[in-house]
Amino acid sequence: MTDIQQTVYVVEDDEAVRDSLELLLKSDSKPVKTYENAGAFLREYSDKMAGCIVLDIRMPGMDGMELQKKLNEKHSILPIIFVTGHGDVPMAVDAMKEGAVDFIQKPYREEALLEKIEAALEQDKEQRKSLDEKQEIIRRVKSLTPREREIMDRMIAGQANKVIAIELEISQRTVEIHRSRVMHKMGTHSLAHLVRMVLSVKDLID
Amino acid sequence: MTEVVSENSEVTVLLVDDNPQNLKVLYETLKDKGYRLLIANEGEKALDLAHRHRPEVILLDIMMPEMDGYEVCERLKADPDTADCAVVFLSALDDLQAKVKGFSLGGADYISKPFQSQEVIARVKTHASVIRLERELQARNRELQSDQARILNSISEGIYGLDENGIIEFANPASALIMGCTAEELIGKSFFDLHFATAAACKDSLPVMATCQQGVAENQRDIQMLRADGTGFSAEYRATPKLDDGELHGAVVVFRDITVELENEQALDEARTLVQEQRDQLAHTSRLTTMGEMAAGFAHEVNQPLTAISNYARVSKRMMAKDAPDLALLRETMDKIEAQSHRASEIIRRIRRFMKKPATGKEVLSVPGLLDDTRQFAEVDMRNNEGGIEVQVEGDLPDVQGDPIQVQQVTLNLIRNALEATRTAGSSAPVEVSARRCGDHCVRVQVRDHGVGVPEEAEEKLFHPFYTTKDDGMGIGLATCRSLIQAQGGEIGYERPEDGGACFYFTLPIAGVEGELCTAP
Repeated sequence: MTDIQQTVYVVEDDEAVRDSLELLLKSDSKPVKTYENAGAFLREYSDKMAGCIVLDIRMPGMDGMELQKKLNEKHSILPIIFVTGHGDVPMAVDAMKEGAVDFIQKPYREEALLEKIEAALEQDKEQRKSLDEKQEIIRRVKSLTPREREIMDRMIAGQANKVIAIELEISQRTVEIHRSRVMHKMGTHSLAHLVRMVLSVKDLID
Repeated sequence: MTEVVSENSEVTVLLVDDNPQNLKVLYETLKDKGYRLLIANEGEKALDLAHRHRPEVILLDIMMPEMDGYEVCERLKADPDTADCAVVFLSALDDLQAKVKGFSLGGADYISKPFQSQEVIARVKTHASVIRLERELQARNRELQSDQARILNSISEGIYGLDENGIIEFANPASALIMGCTAEELIGKSFFDLHFATAAACKDSLPVMATCQQGVAENQRDIQMLRADGTGFSAEYRATPKLDDGELHGAVVVFRDITVELENEQALDEARTLVQEQRDQLAHTSRLTTMGEMAAGFAHEVNQPLTAISNYARVSKRMMAKDAPDLALLRETMDKIEAQSHRASEIIRRIRRFMKKPATGKEVLSVPGLLDDTRQFAEVDMRNNEGGIEVQVEGDLPDVQGDPIQVQQVTLNLIRNALEATRTAGSSAPVEVSARRCGDHCVRVQVRDHGVGVPEEAEEKLFHPFYTTKDDGMGIGLATCRSLIQAQGGEIGYERPEDGGACFYFTLPIAGVEGELCTAP
């Protein structure tokens, strides 16, 4: 759970806008990387990237909306702030439906943009944290033996030790030992917490 | 011989003698020679037959009771219907006095009794053919005269025959009609006094004067002439010298009233101007529509430099807030701000120029510059055209003649259509804009795309007003393009590329080259 470096990725076809935005963000001590088109960003993209994307919605070639779609396909969680022109509002609304965090109209006030960038970075941090947590839970689930995994599933399903012992044709004592190992490996003392943890990654472990 | 018979068959011969025996001899002599023979035994009867049948030849006995041959001859010659008959006197008299009297009364010949049949036949034949020829000649003359009269009467232009002083010797009915009087009233008057108020003041400079006096042909349009009542009218005239063996005998003047014609010409001019104005108006409306469609693109285009300026300005402020500002960097940033503000104003200048009304008129244009400018314009509207726009211009391309805005409007329209077709087809091929010289007189500009193409059945109507293949089209664009290119003296057209897509082209005349209209391809 180390605090990783967040970068503002600027994807903007207009050279002057790109250059000025880079200078501006740098003067605000933000790490910045710029890309002159969507393709260039996509080629460099990896899920290790942290931070946010400031994305021009209108670009020749692949436009902002398309890039967003491609990133969604790659399960990217990088928050996207769309930069739109006058009259692009319907497009921005579509982008929001696709999961963009925000949009800002050109020409914008610096404060407004920086605020949105801050918010996006915070969201990224949160998402990344919860993602890290989930990954930790998954790691722990995977450390269980098949027998422990079976006992845990039954615990989560609400079966009492006695019922588990009868159905698995083992002693109640054995169930208790497995049970305490599960709680230990999963790093919790409370059944309620265990249930919450496992449910939060249910989609990822089955 | 048959020819002679048929010739003779048209000839009537009247035999006049009071002596039946003589008549019989004459009749026997001339019958079967192909003549129609008439017989009279006394003067009155002869006159009556002659009047009714107009014989070519009359064999006339001199010595007759009641009315003698001389009197018959006199009366024949007095009657216009019979005056041209050849009268051949018959008489036993063979004295000079009788012959002379006969000839003096208009007789044509003389045959002495007793007749020699060969002589009678020969003389009748000679006189018959002479009279027949004379009559034919007269008939032709009459025909010719009436033809001339008909022509002169039916012609709608006024015709005067003038003598060398400009006195009217002849005036046709049309001239009288134009003048508002009768032809007779015109004869004998001075053409100059009649038609020109300034006749007395400046005689030498009057129309037709040079033709009358120096034999110089003249030809003028839209001059003022006066009618008989003193009112004026606009006329066109041609004056041709009347020459007879190289000697000047006045002039023939052909003239007409062109008031209505001038009015029609003016109406036509006004209609042309109106059409031109409406075309310009339509073109302007069409440009406004295009700008409306491109408004979002322009807003984006202007917002780019504004955004950059605002960013740079904020960066500059931050730099200045530092203890030791980096002045070189600050200057660099300021330069960037300046460049971006020029960029914004350039975009706005381009829009304003395009929206201007009316169009600027024809200029000498450089095609590469025009195409590049238009490309930048069109790129505003490119949206998701991955391939973009490629401009290719042949080297050494001559300048053309045209209205820069209207030519740009047409080019922009074609490029935008091409971009849209490319987008619709989801193609990433570029829109290819090219220009090359085409023959001696024109330059051809072509816009080629690899988009959805034009349905075959639409090809013919592409340039028709209100015809469109687009769901939201109005069918104005290409029709306007055509009228604009035609106004430049060029042509616009469509070609179906073999490998799909569409290809539109237009031609423009090369500046400074006189020649026929540009013809494609």
